[in-house]
Amino acid sequence: MTQVTTGLTSAMRRQILEQMLIARAVDEEAILLRKQGLIDLWAPCTGQEALQVAAAYALDGVVIVPSYREVAVALVRGATPEQVVAGWSGRSFCGWQPRPLRMFPFTLVLASQMLPAVGYALGTRIQGRAEPVAVFFGDGASSEGDAAEAFNLAAVEQANVLFLNVNNGWAISKPTSEQMRTSIAARAAGFGIASRQVDGRDPEIVYDAVTAELRLLATEPGPRLIEFSVDRILSHTSSDSQEIYRDEADIAAAVSRDPVAAYRRRLLEDGTVDPDWLAELERRTSDLRADLLKEYAR
Amino acid sequence: MTESRSQTLAASINSSLAGLMEADDRVVLLGEDIGRLGGVFRVTRGLQATFGPQRVRDTTLAESSIVGQAIGMSLSGLLPICEIQFDGFCFPAANQIITQAARLHGRWGGTDDLHLVVRIPSGGGTRGVEHHSESNESIFAAVPGLRVAYPSTGEDHRAVLDEALATPGPVLLYEPIRLYWKRVPPAPAAVPPRHPMAVRTVRPGTDVTLVTYGAMTLTALAAADEVASEVDVEVLDLRWISPIDHDGVLESVRRTGRLLVVQESCLTHGVGAEVAATVAEHAFTSLKSPVRRMGAPHEPMPPANDEYHHVVQHKDIVQALLEVVS
Repeated sequence: MTQVTTGLTSAMRRQILEQMLIARAVDEEAILLRKQGLIDLWAPCTGQEALQVAAAYALDGVVIVPSYREVAVALVRGATPEQVVAGWSGRSFCGWQPRPLRMFPFTLVLASQMLPAVGYALGTRIQGRAEPVAVFFGDGASSEGDAAEAFNLAAVEQANVLFLNVNNGWAISKPTSEQMRTSIAARAAGFGIASRQVDGRDPEIVYDAVTAELRLLATEPGPRLIEFSVDRILSHTSSDSQEIYRDEADIAAAVSRDPVAAYRRRLLEDGTVDPDWLAELERRTSDLRADLLKEYAR
Repeated sequence: MTESRSQTLAASINSSLAGLMEADDRVVLLGEDIGRLGGVFRVTRGLQATFGPQRVRDTTLAESSIVGQAIGMSLSGLLPICEIQFDGFCFPAANQIITQAARLHGRWGGTDDLHLVVRIPSGGGTRGVEHHSESNESIFAAVPGLRVAYPSTGEDHRAVLDEALATPGPVLLYEPIRLYWKRVPPAPAAVPPRHPMAVRTVRPGTDVTLVTYGAMTLTALAAADEVASEVDVEVLDLRWISPIDHDGVLESVRRTGRLLVVQESCLTHGVGAEVAATVAEHAFTSLKSPVRRMGAPHEPMPPANDEYHHVVQHKDIVQALLEVVS
């Protein structure tokens, strides 16, 4: 993993690791809850923790319009694990209160969140209190017509929107190579959107990239886009079986690049955290998992 | 009464929009060619000059973009009123209307209500080319979470706008193209509707209740007047087709004992079917004759030359009214 120079303090780096480990714990527990039939479906964020946690911290206070897999983003924003799981359990369509968290509900009709996100940014500008908006969408969603419409609308209106593309290489079973001929960043550039590709496996690279793009969003006119590459370690959802359509070696390679394991190792090696800290966090995450089980076993 | 003679529907809508924008800075208009041009029907003529391009927004030629951005604008605190250029072009926006606007209240846990109006010029009678003369209101009236109105007068159009902006939930507002520039719109009822979403009694009568809406209100009223010496027809303009003011319809049918429903759109799976079914369910014992429905056959709107045979005509309503009471 690439080491970068970053302005992140040790406390901040620990916090990022902490949230990555919490997100992983929620993911693992939710998968078990699904296997026991206690919730209905789960879309894991495993493999995206570095991207989601670091982006969420960099987006401090910015309105976030998610796709449907931004579990760690919601947790960093202040949603409880129970609230994040609620939408997948038949209890509600969105477990958290969107206004106080400044995070819209998940949207399952892919790319349909993108035009409202652009509209929100334009709406605040019309009212003289221009706010930036960050909108997440996947590589699969980029094939939807609404994604192209949102790119064009944001570009032509010079909207204050940061597009965050999460490219995990797969639209369920269809690899990116069969979805598009260019990168999503290149496509966005064609619409007149300033764009770049960033490694989404390293939280410090992600934090720096999102922070830099937000700063540019505030000073330069027009929308911006980051295409993050991440690995898809698990199946698309709890109902999918990637072993049917994906090489064993490809899955193993993705697992070997696990961003949570890598960042944990890195902070342990550079002395930012020690085994005691990790043990304490381990206790917290197992309590959290026990609480989640208790909540959904009712 | 005098106002309805002096102002066309288009001019009346224009005045309503201007009044709303004057009164509330949060009202913004979005649509293709609505600003510089004033809309392809000139309904928004002059509004951009008055209120500026920020509030009267010429959008890109993309219906999903129009409604999608309006949803976001509404969530940011504005009161957007969109225009889809023609009824036949609203389907690219259907995803935003149905999966986003209509479901927002529930998805946001009931914490937020979307104030959003989508104006849709609709219907035939103006020799429109393909997709320029359709009536698809029944499709959207079937969607939970949407309120759908199809008024026939400027006064009712204003009432719909007022209701849409004052109360929560997205509203699709259909406008009858062929009445835009007609000089004599139907006279407003002497008795005002019982509540903002109630039917309007266009013509009181005792022998048969004729339920209709949109441009067909004018045709139905003329037919009712023609048969007045033989049949005393009560004409109800639904104004809102979702939700339908069933109580208002039932009250009338229980008095007259007869029901004729007339609509321009396809008879199958339509608004009239909903009215007829509800009357059969709740006023069956009041009926003196079978419920009768009139509408277009289950076929796409034909080329303009064949519209006459597709859309219910004045003469067809006259004949049906005479048959219903015979």
